[in-house]
Parts: sequence; structure tokens; C-alpha cells
Amino acid sequence: MRPNLLVGVVSVLIGATYTAQAFMLPKAMVGNPWAPLYFPIGLGLLMIALGTLLIVLEVRKAVKGVDDYKRPKFTASSIKLIAGTSAACVTYALIFEDLGFIPSSLLFLGSLLSMINGLKAWKINGVITLGFTFGAWFTFVKIFQINLP
Amino acid sequence: MEVLGYLAQGFLVAMTPVNLVWMVAGSALGTVLGMLPGLGPSTGIALLLPLTFGMRPETALIAMCAIYYGAMFGGSRSSILLNVPGDGAAVASAFDGYPMACKGQAEAALAISAIAYFIGGLLSTIAFVLVALPVARFALRFGPPEYFCLMIFALAATAAISKEALLKGIISLVFGLMLSTVGLDFQSGVPRFTFGSQELQMGIDFVVVIIGIYGISEVFVNLEHIADNVAKPVQSKFGRIWITMEQWKKSIGPILRQTPIGFLIGVLPGAGGTIAALMAYNNEKQISKHPEEFGKGAIEGLAAPEAANNACSVGALIPMMTLGVPGSGTTAVMLGALLILGLQPGPLLFEQHPDVAWGIIASMFLGNVVCALINIPLAGALVRVLSVPPKLLYPLVVVLAFLGVYTINFSVMDFYLLTILGLVGYLMKKFKVPTAPLILASVVGASMESSFRQSLMLSNGSLAVFFRSWICLVLLLAAAVSVAWPFISDWRSKRNQGEAVDVPVD
Repeated sequence: MRPNLLVGVVSVLIGATYTAQAFMLPKAMVGNPWAPLYFPIGLGLLMIALGTLLIVLEVRKAVKGVDDYKRPKFTASSIKLIAGTSAACVTYALIFEDLGFIPSSLLFLGSLLSMINGLKAWKINGVITLGFTFGAWFTFVKIFQINLP
Repeated sequence: MEVLGYLAQGFLVAMTPVNLVWMVAGSALGTVLGMLPGLGPSTGIALLLPLTFGMRPETALIAMCAIYYGAMFGGSRSSILLNVPGDGAAVASAFDGYPMACKGQAEAALAISAIAYFIGGLLSTIAFVLVALPVARFALRFGPPEYFCLMIFALAATAAISKEALLKGIISLVFGLMLSTVGLDFQSGVPRFTFGSQELQMGIDFVVVIIGIYGISEVFVNLEHIADNVAKPVQSKFGRIWITMEQWKKSIGPILRQTPIGFLIGVLPGAGGTIAALMAYNNEKQISKHPEEFGKGAIEGLAAPEAANNACSVGALIPMMTLGVPGSGTTAVMLGALLILGLQPGPLLFEQHPDVAWGIIASMFLGNVVCALINIPLAGALVRVLSVPPKLLYPLVVVLAFLGVYTINFSVMDFYLLTILGLVGYLMKKFKVPTAPLILASVVGASMESSFRQSLMLSNGSLAVFFRSWICLVLLLAAAVSVAWPFISDWRSKRNQGEAVDVPVD
């Protein structure tokens, strides 16, 4: 599929879902009951219109045989790294408040460095993880007086 | 005289020890962040934003401005020494800066870059001083309809920056506006798109959007090349970093010619340092008697984009500070920071908080000096940062981003949003959907909707309110022209090409 066509389809889907949700929003109790809905509905409809326009333009180009696009490349290794990093981020969110800043950050940064820098460099990974985590904790808690769990 | 009085007051604010310390620290941090490929000024400021939360407003803004021009400056260090621009605006500095370094003139290249940067910044700050008050006073005439139209113009100009991505740019900005509608509607108390979540009632903080879309997505993009992304060996020992009289004579003309151009480009919403620097480079090449030397280490080819780039970064602060409307991703981040600090940028900032407004302006003069002073003698020490392997750098950026985001609302909901927005930003970059309109829209979205609804209340629901004042009409016309301009210029160039072909040749 042409990349812009995909962008158009996704835009229409986002616009349609958003518009449907906007119509389901509760009405205002005071003043014009539709006032909080106008702006979102307008945005949703605009998104659908823009997405449709992009689809039409891309279909016209495809019919004319204009190949002025480059497909984005996704390699297996990069997808693995990005998926791994995202999973680490979600895990960090899950454990952050329960375990506290220092243990969860040690795990988070340690896992990121292991994934990205490799397990073989475990010594440097360990030093950076410890140094950065305790350094960040000291900076935020002791210097900036920002409470961390 | 009135301006000079305010400026003197501003210098008193900027020169307090704490502000000077943050100015120096911000310039150094900004330079380091700007040098690192992938972490431009916007990401840098966004990542360092939480550090400013405990500061006084003027100190926070002075620190952020210092990070901003430090980052703009740092971008060119890696361009000159490694041929790896820190950000888009530093691309043009590599064209002649790197060949100069290859010829053994790294010291002269670094010095010319610093001098051009300094003069460009100084002259454009003088222009800022002259322009700021009249613009701010004019903007006092703006009511909700005018502000709505102004935001339409700023967003349209940003989305329309390239013809190819025009439609995708507008889609990006509509998506940003959609994000800004999440949360409790403060005018009616209606929760919108919160799906029953308490945390989402306060909305999606634009800092989360900025760090996700700029910071995390940039890390994801860089992870693709992490295997072959090895830190290049970098020259860190230099002789005397200075230039000869002959080099000075060659540089001063391009600096003085391209500074006003860079400044004007900066004032326009949407255009940015990259356009300013490239335009300055091309201008100088066109008027040069030796255009063949460009790209092979021409001093003019380095001085012109450096001066224009910094003039542009100062110019970009004008709409943000005087009108309260950001013209670029970086100024959107700074505007967001002002809002967090409880200040509403715009004309009233100059009326109600002259100490903050003029303190920041005065700090620009001092910041330029500080940046040049830091960067000339400490070039050798600062460029060592470029030796940090990206494999170690990016995990640290991710953790710093999460830590920064947590300090805004102290909610782990922001961690999930950050991850999702990082992935969204990554996909947007892969599919060449511009991200700057999304950022701008997410920052101004709430006030844009508020202006829209206030305008409708004033007119009893009639949209004609947006066409009643000449200011609205001019702004809407400017928005329409900025969207149509890429097509008009495309049509004109095609017509010119057609005419050139039609000319009979004897």
C-alpha cells in the first residue's frame, strides 16, 4: 500500500472514531448544552475530510501510475529493539510506584542498556545504571526537593 | 527612552547571581545537547524542562533561552568537526565548516562560527528590543476572535511549510488539537474523552506530548541505526581558536547581510532555523564572486548560515513573547513552560510582568556573550561529548524523559501516554508526517478553543464574528496565503519553465 494512502485511511479511522465519541459526550448543564461538543465535532469532521482528500489524491496518483513515494523500511532488528524498549517502558509504569524510584529505575535502565548496548558490556552497563539512578535520585530529591516514590 | 529604561531594569534582573549561574549552566547544557545528533533544541528543552519547575519564572525562562541558543550553537560544533549536524538548522554549517576542518582549519571554523553566531544574535536582539513593545501594544487590541485567527495563522503557516506534506501537516495539527480536547472542559465542567479515568480529567499535558513526540520517538528512530551508529573519533585538541584579519574581512559582509534575513524568517511562524540557514547559504553563494569555492571550505559559506541561524532563533521568540503564539516546536515548548509557571505570554506579559519580559530580553544579550565565551575556550572540552557512544546515550535519554514527565503530575498514567506518543511520533516520522504542527496544536489547542467559544458567545453563535475586524481578515488572509503559497510558487516555477522552453532560439 502507498504510505500516504495508509496515512489517509488511518486519519479517516481516527476522525470517525473521534467524531462518534464526540457525539456521545455529555451535554453541558449550563448555557448552550452543545458548547463543549462543537469544537471536537468540528475537529473530527475535519480529520475525516482531510483523510478522505489524501486518499482521493493518492488513488488518483495510483491510477495515473505516478510512483513518487518511498515505502518506509522496518527491519526485524529495529522492530525488536523498539518493541523491547516499549515493553520496558510499560513495565516501568507498572512497577514504578510499587517498587519505588530506585529499584524500578535500576531495573528499567539496566534492561534498556542490556538490550541496546548488549549483555557483553555488563560491567559498563552496571556502572552507568547505578551511577545514573543514584545521581538522578540525588539531583531530584536532594537538590530540587522533588519527591520521588 | 522608555525601552532603554525597561531594558536597564531587565539587565538588573538578568544579572542577579542565580540568573547568571543558570545562564551559564543553560548555555553549556544546551551546547552539549545541541551537539548530540537527534537531540535538537526542542528535545533538549523538553527534557530539561522539569529542572526549571522549582525556579522563579524569570530564572526558568532565562535558563531555557540559554539552553535554546546553546543548543543552536552546539548543533554547528558537530557539523564542523564531524559533518554530523546536531539538528536541521546546523546542516548548512557542515557544507563549508567540515571541509575547513578537514583542511586543518578547525580552529578558524569554530571561531568564525562563534563570531557569526554572536554578531547575528546581538543584532537580532537589538531588533527584538525595538520591535517587542510596539508589537505587544498592538496586540492589546486583540480580542478572542483576533486571537483565534492568529492561532489559525500560526498553525496554518507551520502545517504548510512544505507543499508535499501540506495535507499531512494539517492532519498532524488536527490530531494535536484533538489531543488538547482530552480532559475536563473548564468552561462547562464536562469531561471529554477521559473514558472514566481520573488521571485523564486534567488532560494530556503538552509536556508529555512534546517529550513523547520529540524525545522518545527520536530515540526509536535512532535505535534503527544503533548497530552502525558508532561514535566517530573527534578532534578535541585545538590550537588557538581565532581568525585572521583576512578571514574576518571575508566573514563580516555575509554576517551583516544574512542576519536580518534570519531574523525575519524567525519571526514568521512555521519557518525555522533550517530554512534561515539554507537561505542564507544560498544567498551568499549566489552573490559571491567565487561560488565554486562554496562547499570546499568557503568562510562566507560558514559565516552566513551561522549568523542567520542565531538571528532566526531570536526572531522566533517575538511571536511567542509578544503575542503568546509560538511559531516553532521549540518556542511551543517554551510557551508551555511559561504556562506551567503561571504566566500567560502575550502583550499582558509586558504590562503585568515587565521584570520577566525584559529580564529575558536582557538575558539574550548576556546569553550570547556567555555562549561565545563558553564555546571558544572550552570547545575542546565540550566536543568530547561527541565521543559518547549512542548505545549508552539513548537509554539515558529515555530514563531522563520518564523522570521528567513524572515530575509534572506525579502520575504513572503519563508513562503510558509517553510510550504511546513515542510510538505515534516514530510512525509519523517513518511516514513523513510532520510533527511540529502536532506539538504547536497541542500547546495552543486549549486557548484556541477557548478563544473560539468566547468569540461565539460574543456574537450569539454567529461565525461572522471572525470576519468583522480588519485584523481578523488580515490574519485569515495570511493563513490562506500561507497554505496556498507552496502551490502558487510551484505553479509559477512551472510557468517560468514553460516560458523558458517556449523562447525561440535563433
